[in-house]
Amino acid sequence: MKAADFSYHEAVNLQDAINIKAQDDEAVILAGGQSLLPALNMRLSSPTCLIDISKISGLNEIKIEEHTLFIGALATHSDVMSNKTVKDNMPYMIDILKMVAHPAIRNKGTHGGSIAYGDPAAELPALAVATNAEIIVSGQNGDRSINAKDFYLGLFETTINQDEIVVGIKYPLLKQGQNIVFDEVCRRHGDYAMAGLIANVMGSKNDIKDLKLVFFATGDKPDVADKTAELYLDNGYDYDKLKNSLSSEIDFAGDLNSSSEMKLHLATVLIKKVLSKLEI
Amino acid sequence: MAANNSVNISFTVNGERFNNINVPSRQHLADYLRSQGFTGTHLGCEQGACGACTIEMDGKAVRSCLVLASQANGTNLKTVEGFDDEMMEKVKQNFLKHNAFQCGFCSPGMLMTTKEILLNKKKLTRDEIRSEISGNYCRCTGYQSIVDAIEECINEIN
Amino acid sequence: MDDIKVNQNPKLGSLDRPNSYIGRSLPRENAKKHLDGGGQFVDDLTLPRMVHVAFLRSPFAHAEIKSINTNDAKKSDGVIDIFTAKEIDEVCKPWIGTLGHLGEMRSPEQTPLAKKIARWQGEPVAVVIADSRAQAEDALELIEVDWVEKEAQVNMETALDSNAVIIHPELGNNLFWTRTVNQGDVEKAFKEADAIVETTLDFARHTGVTLESRGIVADWNKAENKMTIYHNGQAPHMMQHIIAKHLDLNEGLVRIVSRDVGGSFGIKVHVYPDEMAVTAISKKIGRPVKFIADRLESFTTDIHARCHKISGKLGVDKNGKILAMEIDDLSGIGPFSMYPRTSAIETNQVLNLSGAPYVIPNYKAVGTVVFQNKTPMCQYRAVGHPIAVAITEALIDKAAYKINMDIDKIRKINFIPDNAYPNKCPSGVPLEDLSHEASMDKLLEIMDIKEIEAQKEEDLKKGVLTGHGVISMCEVTNPSPLFYGVGGAHISSQDGASIRLEGSGAIHLSSSITEQGQGTEAIMKQIAADQLGVEMESVRVTLGDTDATPYGGGTWASRGAGIGGEAVLKAARKLKDNILNIAAAIMQTDKDTLDIEDNNVIRKNGGEGISLKKLAETVYYRGHELPKGTNAELLATASFLIEGIPFVFTNSAMGCQVSIDQDTGIIKINKFWAVEDCGTQINPKLVEEQIRGGVIQGIGGALFEECVYDDQGNMQNATMADYLVPMAYEMPDIIVDHVTTNSGRSIIGAKGAGEAGTGGAPAVIMNAINNALKQVNAEVVSQPITPEKILKALGKI
Repeated sequence: MKAADFSYHEAVNLQDAINIKAQDDEAVILAGGQSLLPALNMRLSSPTCLIDISKISGLNEIKIEEHTLFIGALATHSDVMSNKTVKDNMPYMIDILKMVAHPAIRNKGTHGGSIAYGDPAAELPALAVATNAEIIVSGQNGDRSINAKDFYLGLFETTINQDEIVVGIKYPLLKQGQNIVFDEVCRRHGDYAMAGLIANVMGSKNDIKDLKLVFFATGDKPDVADKTAELYLDNGYDYDKLKNSLSSEIDFAGDLNSSSEMKLHLATVLIKKVLSKLEI
Repeated sequence: MAANNSVNISFTVNGERFNNINVPSRQHLADYLRSQGFTGTHLGCEQGACGACTIEMDGKAVRSCLVLASQANGTNLKTVEGFDDEMMEKVKQNFLKHNAFQCGFCSPGMLMTTKEILLNKKKLTRDEIRSEISGNYCRCTGYQSIVDAIEECINEIN
Repeated sequence: MDDIKVNQNPKLGSLDRPNSYIGRSLPRENAKKHLDGGGQFVDDLTLPRMVHVAFLRSPFAHAEIKSINTNDAKKSDGVIDIFTAKEIDEVCKPWIGTLGHLGEMRSPEQTPLAKKIARWQGEPVAVVIADSRAQAEDALELIEVDWVEKEAQVNMETALDSNAVIIHPELGNNLFWTRTVNQGDVEKAFKEADAIVETTLDFARHTGVTLESRGIVADWNKAENKMTIYHNGQAPHMMQHIIAKHLDLNEGLVRIVSRDVGGSFGIKVHVYPDEMAVTAISKKIGRPVKFIADRLESFTTDIHARCHKISGKLGVDKNGKILAMEIDDLSGIGPFSMYPRTSAIETNQVLNLSGAPYVIPNYKAVGTVVFQNKTPMCQYRAVGHPIAVAITEALIDKAAYKINMDIDKIRKINFIPDNAYPNKCPSGVPLEDLSHEASMDKLLEIMDIKEIEAQKEEDLKKGVLTGHGVISMCEVTNPSPLFYGVGGAHISSQDGASIRLEGSGAIHLSSSITEQGQGTEAIMKQIAADQLGVEMESVRVTLGDTDATPYGGGTWASRGAGIGGEAVLKAARKLKDNILNIAAAIMQTDKDTLDIEDNNVIRKNGGEGISLKKLAETVYYRGHELPKGTNAELLATASFLIEGIPFVFTNSAMGCQVSIDQDTGIIKINKFWAVEDCGTQINPKLVEEQIRGGVIQGIGGALFEECVYDDQGNMQNATMADYLVPMAYEMPDIIVDHVTTNSGRSIIGAKGAGEAGTGGAPAVIMNAINNALKQVNAEVVSQPITPEKILKALGKI
């Protein structure tokens, strides 16, 4: 299929993009386009106007800023993966991004795009929630910072306003003894997962002091399972108990490749798989 | 219905200049390139899942069905028709030697993916090669011959 | 020159000579164009004044079309016209997908566009003709159809129930075709059996997913009354006949051009309503018309395959000898039987092929084929094989487990012995020149079963379920007229070759076989150059053009090498004979003292020869120098068809080892082996690549691919992100080896090799998985075998 007609506007700067977006309800931001273009090509989305922000300079910066790693919205997944600051300060980010689609998609797909799109099956929104990241958005009233856990409301739904654009994400740097471990189960390499888990752990394998579990591809947004994490801290890995807990804590939504029952099972075994990756 | 929106842009394809051309706003780059005779860029799904349309944009592999022609403004593009340097000639010889294609429809995208693998200059295992090409669909070969060809290219370069 | 592979066919002459190309893994130099972006696929073609179409397709599986209003759509930018069934039917006559040789088939008339009722989601209903495809799609959104959705008959298992929705009321019920085979007395034999095993297997619908989708450009030239069709099909002469017949054209003035084809696998050998409509539109508007299916259209309108549920029963004595086999197969084919091959053939092959490698004295098979409101189902690579092989081999493994016998041993004691051919399948279909015993021996030799067994125990200790399987199978190739022609289909089972020596000394060859990537052009060149005694580079080949090639069947059912190749061989030998006669006249010597090597006629005993170039120059430019009465024809043609038997069978043995993650249900294929006996291998590398590509398609069906439908008959996963084709990372390397038993039906001795991988892989993978699951008393019986099905079998969910 071919996309329906739309007008195309190459934004000259951030303010330009914000202004157009504020004026046109149906205008859509185009960054890397790796999720938007398929929707356009299949006429699942027919916006009146695309605002291309990809040429705006300065939005792809990656830097350390007040104990956080800031990743500019327009940094592509490939940019992030090959960035030395990321490698030195947040090496797990590179391994997570290896699970995102395929190289040619990562060359074009942007960090901010993935965060803003809010696909419940995507890795980065879950990572942002797991790491307590701040999402920086810019709008007519200036910038605001939204904690990732408050950013995602539901299926492809975020707190971002019509006039706002994600400009960057601030990931807190890991403290001494803090680890990010993760895994996902896919039918095929690079596919969206049947279920995935990112765990933010304080402590070592045999001595976990604090634990945050964030699942993806399980429900309608990144699913935080605090009660289940607590249960794990109290009892260790008990499949039945953890499964029960997850079942009450997360509203599992089945898809073509895995039923909700399957997702619940995979989420449970992922706790074991992921935490076994911690060093002793 | 109103006339279709269009955009005025410039870029190069395999060194050939396209200056101040008018493209429909909604046209993806693959369709534009094909309309200009670069028919080596193939379309298999128009959603980025098959890899057949993969081309080089400013030195990086991209899905040309997931880039609007208008987004290519100011870029340098390379399509399979322009893969004629020494390295790519070697790659083609290895593809031929291993019969790393049958119908040839996936080949332009597969060659672009191979090019990017080789430019990264990493020594890869067969599994890693499989991972790198796992976004390029080939219905004919079953992939083994493609992995063979890429493995030989990597060995020659490293 | 590449390594010489041992060629065991004495009819082809010594390998130790110049220009002996048959049997060598030569690279396909002719195909390098694809690596330079120079392929010529249908969508690459642009003709002056060419227009584009987009089809309005039924969004419902079953719906009445009350009215269609195209007024607004016709005003849309770039629209030239919009047609419904009424306009197309003025130009194109309907067809019926039945044949006469397999008992009664019942399928109603089908027209390019649905008239009053749409019967599958995706059936074309109206068509917009516009300056661009995008504009045609814009107009689609403005067409108003008054639909009345009807209840759909989706599930094949309820299609014959008394309360089923009858898809074609004039037929009275949803039965398309049924057949029963009964050899011996199964009931009596089962009573005598020491052990009886039973199983029921499910095979989901899947489809071909050729990377290049279906495409056609139809160009009606009123001045010449000529229709030229650029089409990515497999059988140009069949299409020529069908288009002439249904558009009422002079068949000789219909030209089908099939240049490069981006994979076909049987998908592109059928007559599709949308393609017929495109041809009719060109005739109506007098302009070239292009239609390229998009991926959504591919998924919902390319033929689907499989969709079977089969029950089987096997009885053995205490020594493992098979006494009887019984199967009952049900298949759903959508709302119409496809034209012109019919949708009965997959089930027919299930009945023909089940148990084929084995001596089974008592055999009963029932096949039932029903209509349903889903995409039409028809022949795709390895037609019927996956079902026949899986049921047979699953039952044999079960029997082996039950009587505690090794899985290879039970097969060996039941094989039709290699020295017992000609013989027959349990169904009665004739077999010849097969080698199940030798192939299984070779398979076991390369697999190292002992090491595999040892690893299985090691893995179990680690909690990993590892298992393996071996299977044997027969593969239908090189069909004779008894396949389609006898039933009334105008599909040629004969193929032709024409070869000439040109004034430049070059050789030109044309064949009715087509190229879809298998390497047709390369092997035709190899045969011609080998038999003539010329360098490969001096041969050029024309394929895929009904105006330029001999008449014939095309490429399907693994018939290119065995039938088309034999025609090339015969034509080349004739031309050589002519050349030597002319040379003998010029050189004033006895023809028997001459031969051709490296493009020169040589004297076998030494002395000066003459180059083919000089000889051709003499013939064409200075014919007066030849002795009077010399037959100076430098053009030879030949044809070939298989006579006396329905098919030339190939056989194959396969093995694989899989591991299962008990937590996630993910299956990993660790190793895969295939031994193929396809007789003479013209290019062993290309044979191996047919096996490998075929195996991967088989793995697709076994583990990944499924057209998922909801209860209303809507396909749920009609995109390449949702329909899971095999990608590189999950696929194994495949070790291929060979046994060679030449076909006695031809000089070249080649049999086909394209079906086995796809036909056998689903069986051996399922057996290996069940071998692994057996350790925890679990079993899977439904393909694709997904992680979820594994976890259910394991009782985890």
